[in-house]
Amino acid sequence: MLVLTRRANQSIVVGRDVVITVLEIRGDQVRLGINAPREVAVHREEVFAEIQRENRNAAAVSADAAALLPAPRKR
Amino acid sequence: MTLLATVSRVRIETKRFGELEVDEARVLRFDDGLPGFPDDRRFALVDARDGDDVFYWLQSLDDPAVAFLAAVPWLFFPDYEPELPEADQALLGLERAADALVLCLLTVHRDQQTITANLLGPVIVNQQTRHGRQVVLAESRWPVQAPLAAAA
Repeated sequence: MLVLTRRANQSIVVGRDVVITVLEIRGDQVRLGINAPREVAVHREEVFAEIQRENRNAAAVSADAAALLPAPRKR
Repeated sequence: MTLLATVSRVRIETKRFGELEVDEARVLRFDDGLPGFPDDRRFALVDARDGDDVFYWLQSLDDPAVAFLAAVPWLFFPDYEPELPEADQALLGLERAADALVLCLLTVHRDQQTITANLLGPVIVNQQTRHGRQVVLAESRWPVQAPLAAAA
């Protein structure tokens, strides 16, 4: 892991197109501004990790799970 | 003169279902894979229950062991309104909401015999291009495990 120390209003450039700026430091919270191209997705790491974990849970599904699916609506 | 349209079929190896044959039109491309499955870039959309248009299997073409059960969410969650972040709209080239197929991955909980849907990270497919991605609705409060109740 690359470790850098920044003050408020200082920035980090990632790759060619992503700029992360420390906007404000207040107590134990840091406010970050992210400048990235429209097509680059930016997420809080814990949310991405949650999706990853749930995907792994979901992938454990076995073929007979379809039997547990709710019954179809009667037409 | 009669023109016959030929549908391309693709044969895929699957761990759960043996060998399957699917329409090429049902093969979806995920350029970034899925979170936790970055190398699974191609998935076949397979009906889970003969054409009910609700439940599907997403079977990886890149790894026979990787498959997900998925559902179109609105039958169970009529108020579900996933707001696509701009980055994902741009990546999918989605210009109209009608071009999007929304699927939520299902987790089967064996002990409680329940199934939950991931509403926090829906899979969005551009039906025109057949490109898809799993979108993280990080700013929302949608649950990652929403229980499926029986359809009314």
